[in-house]
Amino acid sequence: MLLILDTGTSNLQSVADGFRRAGSRPEIAVTPDAIARAAAIVLPGVGAFEKGMAALRAAGAAEPLARRVTADGVPLLGICLGMQLLADESEEHGTHRGLGLIPGCVVRLRPDQPGYRVPNFGWHDAAATGGNPLFDAAAGPQPFYFAHSYHFVSAAPADVAATIDYSGRKVAAAVARGNVFGLQFHPEKSQDAGLDVLARFIDHVRAQGRAV
Amino acid sequence: MQYHRLIPCLLLKHGLIVRSQSFSIHQIIGNPVSTIDRLSSWNVDELVLLDISREDRHDMRREDHFVRYDSASTLDLLRYIARACGMPLSFGGRIRTLEDFHQRIAAGADKCVINTEAYRRPDFIREAAETFGAQCVVVSIDVRRCEDGSAEVWIDGAREATGARPDDWAREAERLGAGEIFLNSIDRDGAGKGYDLALIRAVTDAVSIPVIACGGAGSYDDFPKAITEGGAAAAAAANIFHFRELSYPLAKESCVAAGVAMRPANVSGRWFPRDLPYDAAHEQGRIDARLKAAREGRYRAAEAPGAPPQMTWCRRCVYPLISATPMALDENGVCMGCRMAEIYNEIPEAEWKRREGLLYDILDQNRCRDGSRHDCVIPVSGGKDSYFQAHYVKNVLGFNPLLVTYYGNNYTEVGQRNLLRMKDALEVDHIIYQPSIGLLRKLNRLGLVAMGDMNWHNHVGIATVPMRTAIQHGIPVVVWGEHGYADICGQYSNDDYFEWTYRNRREHMARGFEWNYFVGMDGIAAQDMACYQYPSDAALMRTGLRGLYLSNYAHWDANRHIEIVRSKYGFEVSDEPFDRTYRTMSNLDDMHENGVHDYLKYIKFGYGRCTDHASKDIRAGVMSRGQAIELVRKHDHVKPRDLARWLDYVGMDEDTFDRICDTFRDPRVWRRIDSEWIKANLWD
Repeated sequence: MLLILDTGTSNLQSVADGFRRAGSRPEIAVTPDAIARAAAIVLPGVGAFEKGMAALRAAGAAEPLARRVTADGVPLLGICLGMQLLADESEEHGTHRGLGLIPGCVVRLRPDQPGYRVPNFGWHDAAATGGNPLFDAAAGPQPFYFAHSYHFVSAAPADVAATIDYSGRKVAAAVARGNVFGLQFHPEKSQDAGLDVLARFIDHVRAQGRAV
Repeated sequence: MQYHRLIPCLLLKHGLIVRSQSFSIHQIIGNPVSTIDRLSSWNVDELVLLDISREDRHDMRREDHFVRYDSASTLDLLRYIARACGMPLSFGGRIRTLEDFHQRIAAGADKCVINTEAYRRPDFIREAAETFGAQCVVVSIDVRRCEDGSAEVWIDGAREATGARPDDWAREAERLGAGEIFLNSIDRDGAGKGYDLALIRAVTDAVSIPVIACGGAGSYDDFPKAITEGGAAAAAAANIFHFRELSYPLAKESCVAAGVAMRPANVSGRWFPRDLPYDAAHEQGRIDARLKAAREGRYRAAEAPGAPPQMTWCRRCVYPLISATPMALDENGVCMGCRMAEIYNEIPEAEWKRREGLLYDILDQNRCRDGSRHDCVIPVSGGKDSYFQAHYVKNVLGFNPLLVTYYGNNYTEVGQRNLLRMKDALEVDHIIYQPSIGLLRKLNRLGLVAMGDMNWHNHVGIATVPMRTAIQHGIPVVVWGEHGYADICGQYSNDDYFEWTYRNRREHMARGFEWNYFVGMDGIAAQDMACYQYPSDAALMRTGLRGLYLSNYAHWDANRHIEIVRSKYGFEVSDEPFDRTYRTMSNLDDMHENGVHDYLKYIKFGYGRCTDHASKDIRAGVMSRGQAIELVRKHDHVKPRDLARWLDYVGMDEDTFDRICDTFRDPRVWRRIDSEWIKANLWD
């Protein structure tokens, strides 16, 4: 079963519709029981980092989630805020601890070149670094939809799976470490390129013999 | 690469998309789902949906459309349409509390657009940003230019002035935590005169958050200016995307050609195909349920209690507000059909001369220069309008058209003679496509059961075969006559130069039922339905196919046309009036169009062809409203003589027919009292 974690504030139906279109039948829940049954987990989310973590803790989901992912090897896909929650900590409205599943921290976008505005709304070509099952690096950069003011700074460069050029710097569009994946963009809102990523995630999970 | 965005903005009023002018005149374009399907398949960058209704009120349920949503709540509507929406969705309208935010996001919105409440209670911006994140909060600012040229913020749908300057208010909104500004110009709304670039520049200079510019785009060339000259992060527009086929991809092309970095549009999306698959088992279930209801005599309209509902008619013509067409009334109770006809009839001769020039130029640009094809296609049924179109294009403008006919096998004898005479009388080439009779029998019967219209095949055939033929022959222009809904209910304005679109065909002619709906039913195979399969977007793009309406370029006056085509080309009118209308010159090409087909309109909505014809004649100034009411009273309810032929044709008995029809009666119109169907009437 593909579980979409209900973190309260996000547009879950769009994520669920995206996965349905890409060929899966997701379930939306946040209970420890659902987490225990999940063959793969999607952690969506919009809004502030602290509220996202608080919602996971309040539901008693943070600890079982980390355990399933680290002990049972359940694939996890974080989307937007869900991707940022994978980090060790964030500087959004103070310093807050994250799930610590991919080493790194979340910092504010601080563009210093003209033409870049915060929040970073809209479409960017993201270039895959290669060797990641969610992207076809050979197809070249693909456009995805972003809506964020903070970004993931990975402690290990090898964990960065795709980047965008933003104000003269490379900003992480995707991170991956083992069975944990994070997408800064919204694949469910990125149409053809985005649904390709969701379909590849489903394929990747199924290739491990997990039914989603 | 960072891309700028091109954003269609849809205005919703009581559940339907409207075309807006000056924030005050609203003409109904149609159902949001068919438009959003279209935008999804083009992979548009983002969609802004603004609900401008003052209250929750939309009973949109129509038994005869594929798309049915049965609720009056805006949230239900949002939930319904969000499923068809593959792009980021911003939703606005009557958002006043954090709970409103939460509900809309849960229903499928990615961002919420706030306006009046944000101005009246600025802390609302801060609260929303803290709860949902700045990326969720779009502050919309409506601006009107004062007489001295200064700009002022207005709120409450342009009803209340604030005295505030837009740049000051935008700066304050950013300070409070807004993630984005949606900037709209009231003066430019619907005017098509271009963006107010000075206004856009003033606001983009004042803030560091992205600004979406809206209001005034009249040509695709306006979009790049909002970005390059105005400094906007995104260019948005509403009306312009409704007027032409492939409007969004073409607008994108124009921006890219102007050097603006934009993601290319898509005309062959893999995950959002234009022709959606149907759930065959579910659809067969719907059909079976209807047949069962008919057998058992369970009718939705009969289950509603009490007397028939009050009805509203246009105060000038005799058109009812609940109708088969997207009908809207103005503040004086006069319908948009009357309003637009008034403006249309006052277009001076010099302007028609100019418009004739516009049409000539388009045809001339697309003229065949190497003798390999005709200059344009004219879809013809052989009726009076067909003759006028062919006459005008060939003998007034001097082009060589190819006539194309979908032969629905319902011709009257006179209509058949008129059809076959065209190649001789007008000296033109003519292709007549005749589907197999076996298929037509099936489609007649299935159309009645699925949507209460046995003539689906005819409307969709007429709307598809000429376009297919144009593509097959590499002919880039098709010249249609008049736009039915623009004529009947004033759907567009005269300066829109609206053109033929797939969306209009799908929603209004096919009622949301595409060709593949019928595949698998009654042994119908995909190949049997080939002539109803519309050319792909990629093919339309390659050929650059445009469908023009002659009524935008030449003064359309049916009563005058009939004289021209009778005297010049021997067009025959019937000596026998139809039983459902007083006009004898219309619909000779299809005995059922004024008959069984139109009788079904009366069964559904309580009015018929006589109402259409009388309303047109009132607008043309040749009939009084009193005369019209008498004619409507005489004709609208009549069960037509051609029904016998139709029942025999498809093999159905009259009782079964009547029962199926009754399942389509609209509860907004009908009640069943003492086994009689009753409704309110104009003459009550």
